[in-house]
Amino acid sequence: MLYYLILCRSLTYAQRTARVLERAGVSGYVQKTPKAISKGGCGYGVKVSERRLAEALQVLRREGMAPKQVFLQEATGAYREVQP
Amino acid sequence: MIYLDSAATTLEKPPSVARAVARAIGTIASPGRGGHQPGMAAAELIYRCRELAADLFQAPDPDHVVLTNNATHGLNLAIHALVRRGSRVLISGYEHNAVTRPLAARQAEVVVAAAPLFQSAQSYQAFAHHLEQGVDVVVCNHVSNVFGWRQPVEEIAQLCRRYGVPLIVDASQSAGILPIRCAAWGAAFVAMPGHKGLYGPQGTGLLLCGREGRPLLFGGTGSNSLSQEMPDFLPDRLEAGTPNVCGAAGLLEGMRFVKERGEAEIFRHERRLCQRMAQGLEGCKAIRTYTGPDQCGVLSFTAEGWDCEELAEQLGRQGIAVRAGLHCAPLAHRSAGTLERGTVRLSVSAFTRAWQVDQAVERIVALSR
Repeated sequence: MLYYLILCRSLTYAQRTARVLERAGVSGYVQKTPKAISKGGCGYGVKVSERRLAEALQVLRREGMAPKQVFLQEATGAYREVQP
Repeated sequence: MIYLDSAATTLEKPPSVARAVARAIGTIASPGRGGHQPGMAAAELIYRCRELAADLFQAPDPDHVVLTNNATHGLNLAIHALVRRGSRVLISGYEHNAVTRPLAARQAEVVVAAAPLFQSAQSYQAFAHHLEQGVDVVVCNHVSNVFGWRQPVEEIAQLCRRYGVPLIVDASQSAGILPIRCAAWGAAFVAMPGHKGLYGPQGTGLLLCGREGRPLLFGGTGSNSLSQEMPDFLPDRLEAGTPNVCGAAGLLEGMRFVKERGEAEIFRHERRLCQRMAQGLEGCKAIRTYTGPDQCGVLSFTAEGWDCEELAEQLGRQGIAVRAGLHCAPLAHRSAGTLERGTVRLSVSAFTRAWQVDQAVERIVALSR
C-alpha cells in the first residue's frame, strides 16, 4: 500500500494536522520524519493513505494549514517528493 | 487539618490527578524525542493538555499553549518577549513579585495605575489615563493574590486594543474560576499556574501566547535539530528540554475537572465561602477584614494585638493552614495600606467545605478576642 507523508514543522503541528484530518474523517498517523527527507534534522509528519491525500490536502487548505512538503512513500520504502 | 491556603496551592485535588501522575511516571517517556510507543504516548498526553487549555482559555490554537513550570515562569517569558531596558510598562497597584521583579531586572520604567482596593472604576480610569500618556506594555493581574480583588481585565484589554499596546495578564488566581478569553481580549500573553485553580501538581503552568515569544532557555526541542538557533515557531521556541510530562498528566486531569464542574460553579462556591468567612469575622471588633465587590475566594484580615505571622503560626498549631505576611506582593500591600503590618490570608478552593470555614472563623475569633 502506498502512503503519503505530510511534513510538519513540529510535533505539535503534526498532531494538530492529524486532529484536523481526523475531524474531517481522514485518518492520519503522526510519525517521525525519516532522516533522508528531514532537511532540518529531527522532524515529524503525518502519514495518510494514497487514496485520501487529495481530500486531506483540501481539508488542510481550508483550515489554513497547507503543508510545505509532501512525500510519497513508494512500495520499495523510498520517499519521493510530490507537489502538494 | 483545615486548609485555607489555596491561593498558594490547592492541596486537595480531584482523585484522578494523582492517579494520572502515578500512571504517567511508569508508562510514558519524553514527547518529541523517540518515535516509540512511550514517546508517542507522552506526545499525545501533552497535546491533549494543550488542546484542552486552548479550548478552555480561548488560545488561538494548541501550538500557542506553552507548558511552563509555574505562572512565574510564564510571566518571565512574557516580559522577556516584550520588555526592553527603559520600556515604559504600566502595571496595576496589586501585582505580585513575579511581575515586579522581572520588570526591575530588565530595568523597565514602571508606571503604576494606582487605585484604592476594590475600586474597579478607578482602576480602569487609571489605566486609561496612563495609556493615553503612552506606554509600551501593560501587565495586570486578573485577581489579586492578597485581596481576591478581580481587576476589570476585560475593560483594560479593550483599552489596550484601542491604543495598540500589548497586554500581559497574570491569571494566577483566576484560572479555573473566571472566564479567560485570550483571543477575545487580544492579549499578547496570559500566564497561569497549574497547581492552583486548575488542580494540577506543583511545577506545572501554562503560557497562552497571542504572539510569538523570545526564548529564555535554549536547548533541545525535537525539531530543527541541525540549527543552532531555537525554532521560530511555537510552542518549540519557548520549550527547551524535556517538559514535566507527569505533571502535565495531572494538569490535564485537573483541567478536565474544571471543565466538568464549570468555572462559574466553582466561582460561586468560592465566593459564597469567602462571604461566609467575612461575615463570621466581621462580628469580632478586633478584626478588620478587607472585602468588597468583585472579590473572589481570597480574604485578607488583620487582628488587633496580633502580629499576622504569629497569628498564622498559632492557627497552624491548631490545625488551620493559612498564609500571613506580604504574600510576595509588597506592591499590593503598599497600595492597600497594609505594607507595614501585612495581613493573614484565607483562601478556598472547590473542595473547601462550609463547616471548615466556620470552624476556622470560630478559632480566629476566639484568638482575637
